[in-house]
Amino acid sequence: MPTVQIKDEARIGTDARIKLQPSVYLEKLFQTGTPDLSWMNQHGEWGIHAKPGNLGLRLKDIEIGSYGVIPNHGGEHRSMAPRGAVVPSDVPSLGFTVNEKAECWADNAMELYEEAVARQWSSARDIPWSELKPLPDDLEHAMCQLCTFLTEVEFIAADAPTRWMSQINQDFLEVKLFLATQAMDEARHTDVFRKRALANGGGLGKASALSQLSLKRIFDSPSFSAQTARLHLLGEGFVLTMFRQGEFIAPSRVDSEIFRRCMQDESRHVGYGTMHLRAQLNARPDLADEIHEQLDDAESILLQLFSVPESVEPMAILLGGGLQHFDQGMEMQANLWRRVVNEYLQRCDSAGLDRRPRCLLPTDFTKLFAA
Amino acid sequence: MAAKFPDAEWFLALGRLMESEGELFRRLGYAEVRFVIRIVGDDGHAERETAIELDGYKLGRAATLDNALDFDPDFTICATAAVWNRMLSEIARDGRPEARHTLSSLALIGEELWLESGDQLREDKYYRYNQTLQEFLNLSGKLPR
Repeated sequence: MPTVQIKDEARIGTDARIKLQPSVYLEKLFQTGTPDLSWMNQHGEWGIHAKPGNLGLRLKDIEIGSYGVIPNHGGEHRSMAPRGAVVPSDVPSLGFTVNEKAECWADNAMELYEEAVARQWSSARDIPWSELKPLPDDLEHAMCQLCTFLTEVEFIAADAPTRWMSQINQDFLEVKLFLATQAMDEARHTDVFRKRALANGGGLGKASALSQLSLKRIFDSPSFSAQTARLHLLGEGFVLTMFRQGEFIAPSRVDSEIFRRCMQDESRHVGYGTMHLRAQLNARPDLADEIHEQLDDAESILLQLFSVPESVEPMAILLGGGLQHFDQGMEMQANLWRRVVNEYLQRCDSAGLDRRPRCLLPTDFTKLFAA
Repeated sequence: MAAKFPDAEWFLALGRLMESEGELFRRLGYAEVRFVIRIVGDDGHAERETAIELDGYKLGRAATLDNALDFDPDFTICATAAVWNRMLSEIARDGRPEARHTLSSLALIGEELWLESGDQLREDKYYRYNQTLQEFLNLSGKLPR
């Protein structure tokens, strides 16, 4: 029988601090040669035949029998033992703190996870970088400032939810899987906007203290649902519209490809957040006040963010097609602002949150300029 | 005689091309979405409607829509014949519409082309699958004329 050659094999274990002790089971196996096989009698529901659909074997296809029952309360053992498996009594707890289904669940999490896996893309491979051509200085400056902002804010949607991901009971695995794809999406967004800023003769522009403040508030959210309201519903909803604008304003096919692909990813994140809040507010209507308070603050910061030149002017220059059409760009921005607010409020409606009376965001863009 | 937009047969021809260009759509990822293409007349009313269903990497259904209640689309894409024809002409010429005349750009401005949907979450599928929808229409550049 061929053997694997291992470097310095004789030295392995010579300084080990713990002495190897064979288990009772292994000693017995060595002595009798008879396998134990008792584990074959310890299993979850048996005889399961999950059938693939036309797009392969997806999560929804294995949500069958007892395996398809998502408990309202996560397992008390708080371990990573798989839902539906036989869980020994001595598994150590990992200390999960999000143990109620309503605290994290969204009915579309499985669908969005599979979709995210199927629709992954590579910023190196799928963006036609070789088609990038020099732009007039004003457009390149504006695009680089926009990319700076997006590079700055995008990774919060990986860092912040994954802080909570590690706190979510493993029985809500589907949510954790989805959040993992969101983290990957945001990694790609961060890399693609950084690459774009550095690829066409420009570079990174000015970071923003207000952006950082909004990120910090997301990071410090007191609960996963509070974070979801700030991040998925308002923040990512806002960025989603920016991505949609991005394709429209794109001065090159490279830019339009970047924005369109990011837009698709971001739509999934917003979809998860909206459905999660719907589930949470259905289960705990009393949380609406907490969510409103979070959004009061988040909207206020968003308004401040939209009151500084590095936020307002790049988009107007890109929308207008150049500095000489700045006024036209501002007009278009005003129309788009109305759309941003409308879509945000519609998502709040979908989530079951009556935000309209309390919303700080004016539907009329000109109200940002004068009291 | 070749089928014309927005005949169901025209979309079925796109569906056949979609299957022959399978690699492109597999790379984009699957799409599960049902929508209506609406031709809006000058009076603002629907002149014609075609129901489309994308089922993974292929066209699942294309049919003239007589009764919207029978179909329950995720969204309806509305535009005048002139706007649709401009997009299709640009696709025929360049393989894709001009950047400001794509499905995404037109819906963003919402004047020449707009979406109708009863649920923002279902409408969001327009954006989740946008590249697939655009590439699907871009296949029209390969139809015989």
